Amino acid sequence: MSSIRLGRRTLLKAAGASGGAVAAAGLAGDPLATLVRAEVPAAVPTDELVPTLCWIGKQDCGILARKVNGRVVSLWGNPAHPRNNGTLCPKGVGQITALYDPHRLRSPLVRTNAKGVAGEWRPAGWDEALGMIAARITDVRARDKRLLIWQKGRSKAEAIYDTAFVNAIGATKIGHGAYCSDAGYRAAEYTLGPQGVLHPDFRNTRYVLAWGWNVTNAGGNKLCWITWPQQLAAARERGLRVVAIDPRLRGAGSFADEWVPIRPGTDLALALGFSHVLVKDGTIDKEYLTRYTNAPFLVKADGTFLRASGKEQVWDKARGAPAAFDAAADPMLEGQYVSGGEAVRPAYQAFADHLASYAPEAVATITGVPAEQIARIARELAANAEIGSTKLVDGLRLPYRPVSAMAYHMSQQELGFQALRAMIGVFMLLGAVEAVGGVRVDATYNVHGNFKALDEVKIKDPPYDPLLRASRYFPINSVSPSVLARTMLDPGRYGVDHVPEVLILHMANPLLAFGSQRLMKDGYAKFKFVAVIDPWLSETADLIADVVLPAATMEKYEGPVGATDFYTNATALRTPIMQPLFGSRGEVDIYLDLAEKAGVLFGAGGFLDELNKALGLKAPYVLDTSARPEVRDLFDRWAKSQGLAEGIAKFEKEGVWVRGAYPAKTYYGYAHTPPFDGIRHRLYGESLLRYQRDMRAKGADEAYWRDYTPLPTWRRPTMDGSPPDYDLTLISFKLIEFKQSRTSFFPLVGELAPRQRLEINPRTARAKGIADGDDVWVESHHALTGQTQRVKVQARLVEGIRPDVVGMPHHYGTWTHPLAKGQGPAAAELFFGGEGYITNTADQSFQVKVRVTKA
Amino acid sequence: MTRYGMVIDLDRCTGCRACMVACKVENNTPVANLWMYVFRFEEGTYPDVRVNFMPRPCMHCDNAPCVKVCPVGARFKRADGLVATDYERCIGCRYCEVACPYGVNFFNWKEPAKSQYLDGKDATVASVTGGAVPPYDNPDLDAPYGTERRRIAGGGQLKGVVEKCTFCVQRVEAGRLPACVTSCPVQALVFGDLDDPKSAASQRLESKRSFRLLEELGTRPRVHYVGGRPPTAESRQIEAVRAKV
Repeated sequence: MSSIRLGRRTLLKAAGASGGAVAAAGLAGDPLATLVRAEVPAAVPTDELVPTLCWIGKQDCGILARKVNGRVVSLWGNPAHPRNNGTLCPKGVGQITALYDPHRLRSPLVRTNAKGVAGEWRPAGWDEALGMIAARITDVRARDKRLLIWQKGRSKAEAIYDTAFVNAIGATKIGHGAYCSDAGYRAAEYTLGPQGVLHPDFRNTRYVLAWGWNVTNAGGNKLCWITWPQQLAAARERGLRVVAIDPRLRGAGSFADEWVPIRPGTDLALALGFSHVLVKDGTIDKEYLTRYTNAPFLVKADGTFLRASGKEQVWDKARGAPAAFDAAADPMLEGQYVSGGEAVRPAYQAFADHLASYAPEAVATITGVPAEQIARIARELAANAEIGSTKLVDGLRLPYRPVSAMAYHMSQQELGFQALRAMIGVFMLLGAVEAVGGVRVDATYNVHGNFKALDEVKIKDPPYDPLLRASRYFPINSVSPSVLARTMLDPGRYGVDHVPEVLILHMANPLLAFGSQRLMKDGYAKFKFVAVIDPWLSETADLIADVVLPAATMEKYEGPVGATDFYTNATALRTPIMQPLFGSRGEVDIYLDLAEKAGVLFGAGGFLDELNKALGLKAPYVLDTSARPEVRDLFDRWAKSQGLAEGIAKFEKEGVWVRGAYPAKTYYGYAHTPPFDGIRHRLYGESLLRYQRDMRAKGADEAYWRDYTPLPTWRRPTMDGSPPDYDLTLISFKLIEFKQSRTSFFPLVGELAPRQRLEINPRTARAKGIADGDDVWVESHHALTGQTQRVKVQARLVEGIRPDVVGMPHHYGTWTHPLAKGQGPAAAELFFGGEGYITNTADQSFQVKVRVTKA
Repeated sequence: MTRYGMVIDLDRCTGCRACMVACKVENNTPVANLWMYVFRFEEGTYPDVRVNFMPRPCMHCDNAPCVKVCPVGARFKRADGLVATDYERCIGCRYCEVACPYGVNFFNWKEPAKSQYLDGKDATVASVTGGAVPPYDNPDLDAPYGTERRRIAGGGQLKGVVEKCTFCVQRVEAGRLPACVTSCPVQALVFGDLDDPKSAASQRLESKRSFRLLEELGTRPRVHYVGGRPPTAESRQIEAVRAKV
């Protein structure tokens, strides 16, 4: 290839000299003949499309890599993959520069200097590096398995990594959800049952609250990008109205039919404002609330349910007396009653009474959204919900409520868990949960184990584990790395009796992800040994890793992963497009290596045994637990166990296995028998109140228990306690060009957004003497400790942001990759972790008060 | 006869710029040469603000100013509607760049090896790429195309020539869609034979009110926009890409 290109200058001159006759090409013996590639003899000329999956984002879009004579020349969307339908986002296309990035790790590395500062490394062989990690695993397992933590950045091959490997080595697993959307997951699991947050039934919805939905840049329930915008664009052509609720317009972009620039951290109040109007107007779905929620359950004055023989009671209108919820003919939603001399009211009535203080006028002062707008949107929701209407789907007549919300990242605020409960409450009142055109949580309706588990948490006395699970601090707990950092720094304060020693960090970069960077660095520096698995030397590795193992990117087998677009049942597998470059290895290989060296590969309870279970391998494809398999063979067994006769060849050939559309009877919770699998959605969270009382009894501070209320209750966020000169609220957001902290150095996308920036309204900027492009200091303030953090960044003036809000994207702040130098600071340098800046479920808030001054 | 054109649906574009990256990979264009560009605009003042997106490839004008000013016939209009550049003829005078009202021409300032995104000479990379520059070098770009059999595909191959969007001539002649069109996550870009009323492009063009950029100049662009609205003097560009050479 290059020889042809290098020769062209000479050829051009030759062509010029001979009169520019390109037509001369093809003459035997003429040097110009080499211009025509088709005439260049190749040993085995090939031009093929090899399927794989994007490994950057979390929706694992299908990719066809074009390989010419064995060399990957471009990446195209796989038309067969339901999630991306033959298309790719900018980073999906641009990751070809990651594949060939000469700055990828080139061998395992072993640290030669002290931790806490930029790493100095010596290259090591795989055998030595794996041996060092395995020795640590073996040592710590022999002493106390609780001292071993495995933390991941993204969800890939969960059965293999999160389940089988973690079980085999007995590690405690940490994900990244606590800084993403987990508070929303917990709210949905607890309130509705399925695992996820909220998304619309796009094929049928007519009205969507794009609540903090960064339509044009990122996110959406469970998927990182392409699928939802495709469905949104199609729905808008059918007349969908989009109401964007976000302090910043840019996320919804041109897709916003109406922009509601809400004050950050007040979404809970806005949701209750909508509910206030719905209740006041009586535009509620009484049948849904009565039959499928705990709204009719009678609540006593102490906030707990009235029970008889262990069963929750409702007020039976026919009998004029309480009756078991499953025996009453005509349960009441409203009213005040007396039972056994005790005042009782249905949970719905309790909610209605609670909403009295959330009239639009009151909510307007909290949220900054005009009262008329709040009332109008609530009434538009009610009008579009067509309460009582039905629609025929797959031969089933189902409730039709074409109003919905996308609210995935709304949980990244201090009241996140309850804010999501409040939003869900709006759609419960409208009966739009799992109805045709309504809000959905997952691809199909399945009640997750957490529906029960989060209702039955047994709060323990200390000692606690370092993640404070089942503790008086975070009884509902998303397992937060920043909580871990805090308990590692001060275990005594939290009644933690053991401090983890060994960390395996899998494609995660917590120093750039969580607030605050200082907390994460100091806390994680307490690990005695840190192993990192990553294609690049991450910033976390730079500061605290002992051993780094180079992972492959698209050059590996990995999975299985979901491929559903939330209407189609599909599964995919990442297949290698070439041999691993730079001496890297696929993670499945790495874990097989580690397990073998740590003595946990073979036998009962070993990695192979766990793989048999986690992958559901069936005879005759069950792994022999005494022989190490090839990775390809492992996936072949999985595919065949799934009923694919052709095994892994299906994925090597097609990349994805599309099983067909989900039928309505599995898709809609309403269509299940019984509807919603027989559970009652929790409008009223009685167990939350129980947790509050247990927490108080066990001596927890108010800061921990105050948001454990049975109904979502507004309070001012902690950040509001910062002094008035911290006059702006900083929020963070994501860019379509990047994903997490591992793409800003891909040259093709880095070129598109090469610098960190602070978005600020021109009115605010003018008042502070700041012009577009000026460098500014952004200083954040911790309202409880007074701690401040500051960074210097370039100001960008945009009208589409509230004047009292400034915004910064994530993704930046990397320093180990040469191409990322000078891009500017990480947003995580300004946020805080710990009390006041995380939710009551231990999830990260990305909101903080700042002051901005010209640098 | 087949006369190609592009229809860009502004109601669908999310401004993601995947088309810009797909173009660069397919056409191997050098650093900072953005044949496809996606504007992100903001209009109005808080809280009455609108955000709009507008992809802008070469307009492949039927009355192309760049063709008229080219002193050596390097820039030419093809019968199928494409405006092409013969890199063998281009003398780098940049008249086309000045004449074009759309700003879609890019001058190659550097040798290919110095203008690409990755170090293709890295030994490990070269061991699998044969030292191609860039490592994802597209072999289709070397062939001559069209009835004229001229070298008009791809970019970054020669220092001192002017390049622009070719509508991915190497793909179109092979019966495929331009890279930007194929990659677009929301099918905002539609390419096809505008002389054929049944083509997807013609159908999309007919579906909504349309406009063309700077139509008043008489350039007769073959790129049509549907949905959305044309940028105005009030449109402010946000998130501009000011790539450094």
